[in-house]
Amino acid sequence: MVMRNRAAWLPWALPAIVLVTVFFVAPFLLNVRFAFSSWTSFRAEITWNGLENVRTLIDQDLLANAVTVTVLYAILCMAIQNTVSLSLALALQRTSGINTVFRSAFFLPTLISPLAAGYIWRGLLAPDGAVNSFLGIEWAWLGEPSTALVVVAFIDAWKWSGLITLVYIAGLNSIPKALLESATVDGAGPWTRLRRVVFPMLAPALTFNVAVTLVGALSAYDVIAATTGGGPGDHTRALNVVMRQQWGQGFFGSASALGFTVTLLVIATAVPLVWWLRRREVTG
Amino acid sequence: MRAPSRPLGAALGAVLALSLSGCGSSAPEGTGQVKLTLWHNSADPAPLLEMYKKFEKQSGHKIELVSIPSDGFEDTTQTKWATGDRPDILEYHATVSGLLALNPAENLRDLTGEAYIARSGDLYQAAGSVNGKVYAAITGFPQVFGLYYNKKVFTKAGLTPPTNFAELAAACPKLKAAGVTPVFESGGSIWPVQILPILYLAGANQSNAYGKAIAGHSSTLADAGSPFVSGLTAYAKLKTDGCFNKDIVTAKFEDSMKALVTGEAAMVAQHSDMLPALLAAAGGDQKTVDESVGFVGLSSDKPLVTYAPGPIGTFYLPKTGDAAREKASLDFVRFMTGPAYAEYVAASKTFPVFKDVPDPQGVSSVLQDVKKAYDTGAVIAFNSDIPGMGGLAQLMSELIAGQKDPQKAATQLQGQVEQAAKAAGLPGW
Repeated sequence: MVMRNRAAWLPWALPAIVLVTVFFVAPFLLNVRFAFSSWTSFRAEITWNGLENVRTLIDQDLLANAVTVTVLYAILCMAIQNTVSLSLALALQRTSGINTVFRSAFFLPTLISPLAAGYIWRGLLAPDGAVNSFLGIEWAWLGEPSTALVVVAFIDAWKWSGLITLVYIAGLNSIPKALLESATVDGAGPWTRLRRVVFPMLAPALTFNVAVTLVGALSAYDVIAATTGGGPGDHTRALNVVMRQQWGQGFFGSASALGFTVTLLVIATAVPLVWWLRRREVTG
Repeated sequence: MRAPSRPLGAALGAVLALSLSGCGSSAPEGTGQVKLTLWHNSADPAPLLEMYKKFEKQSGHKIELVSIPSDGFEDTTQTKWATGDRPDILEYHATVSGLLALNPAENLRDLTGEAYIARSGDLYQAAGSVNGKVYAAITGFPQVFGLYYNKKVFTKAGLTPPTNFAELAAACPKLKAAGVTPVFESGGSIWPVQILPILYLAGANQSNAYGKAIAGHSSTLADAGSPFVSGLTAYAKLKTDGCFNKDIVTAKFEDSMKALVTGEAAMVAQHSDMLPALLAAAGGDQKTVDESVGFVGLSSDKPLVTYAPGPIGTFYLPKTGDAAREKASLDFVRFMTGPAYAEYVAASKTFPVFKDVPDPQGVSSVLQDVKKAYDTGAVIAFNSDIPGMGGLAQLMSELIAGQKDPQKAATQLQGQVEQAAKAAGLPGW
């Protein structure tokens, strides 16, 4: 019975399999060799050089910092976006005129180009910008090592929270009302309903949102490039920022090794995370 | 399956015929006219763009301009280049380090025998050539790096502009006491913060001695007490002494120009191709610029300017394998370096690179200061011949943020130079 069902699903899954194969698996397999090659702009021949690119990046103090910055940034983005979006979704769950206006307002930043969003925020957060004028302080939000990474993560969250909120609202609205009413009749208060009924039933939305925000932030480039360019120093120099710098200097093999590192990070993070969250969906 | 109906078949045939006729040659056969693709810097000034049009008019060839944004110019050019795409004419840096990254022996046409080279003095000794072969046609006057200063601020403070780092350090507290920022640095744009250390090194780089020693691997940047470490140390000391603006990490290049013109800052280290930006910061008022801004040379110990051939007006001819287009692109180089060049110099009000072309008339006083400083003592930027120096600006950002000390920054940059020198197959590595 199960096998027959699986066979029946195959035609429906086929377009997705083809798309993933053509646009992800095949390019990945065709290009992964460059991460282990001597490819530079300085000469025509490209030879296999094993882990030389990785060794060079380690010797130049570039790799460890880039991985740390990328992982920290991804965790910050995921935490901020999901906290903000879940709160917004709970506040805006009911479909009403005023809520629709707010939903649209929070969704608007999703439509703006990440680079444009970055440039706008860079202006607002400049030492003599609007934010400091409003607060009456003088602080280089994007220029101080203590705040730069967190602030860029907030900008990323501002940009994408509207979309994540919509997914949470859809999840909230799919919870059967009867279930919540039964819980109320059984004496459950708002907090208990939230903890015992709403959160467990939101598990599929949570799986999607956590995975999407984390994986998206692991491959961050645009918002960082537009706001700090990787600075101050190397405090926001994520993997893709270093990749761009290596590429710009003609070190294509090293740049490919950094791209490969991003892919490894995404696979190493997303696969166990989704597996674990899916298990919670079944048992929760 | 049904065969296509006759009208549909005819339409498909017509489309196919049109498509085929659109492929291949871009001009009618036998006319000798071809379409040339020119990748150019978006910052090309109007007189240079005008020259491209004049060439079209004179030769009958068509130039298709592909504009590469000046912001990120090197990265974007490298990216397009790496795909294997080749223009007929490429406008790019004339520095040997920039040239090496194009793998010239493999990709570029050798222009060694062309007439303009003999008229250019010793320009091609230090630029546009590798292993004795000339690949570039340089028509733009080199970028001249030095210290722009606000004349009014210095007069008011009773000071003369510094021409060495000891004088610069001594002027800082006096200018601060007068309520101005002594030196405005724009770390938010990243690249400008490497200029002061490069200026410092001019003292050690007479006849490009230091640059050659690093490129030839007879010295390293990280040698204890090396000129490079000394330059970074001198820079770090200026920062510790409060010579720079408070917003050094976030300030952009445009902010520095504005601060200089308004007198909010006394000095900015920059190069001569930034004069249009200075003019823009003064609201387009040349009189304001001439009255308030001057230019001097500065190095570790004497008044020297540092020069580097820039990308504007530097042309290469990539190998394309198309005889007609290769002939036409060579005609372009001969046009740009031929009789029309004097017109370009007069229109652009820049100084000529050919000895037999007279200086332009009506040059602004700041540019006259630049030329005077250049004629007094000019040294090529020490990093011009060294591949892998592209990471200097990033390392300066880390130095400013206090993450790296001068010695550690020098060691890291030496690693990048080694990576590039080995890739380029330089002798001695």
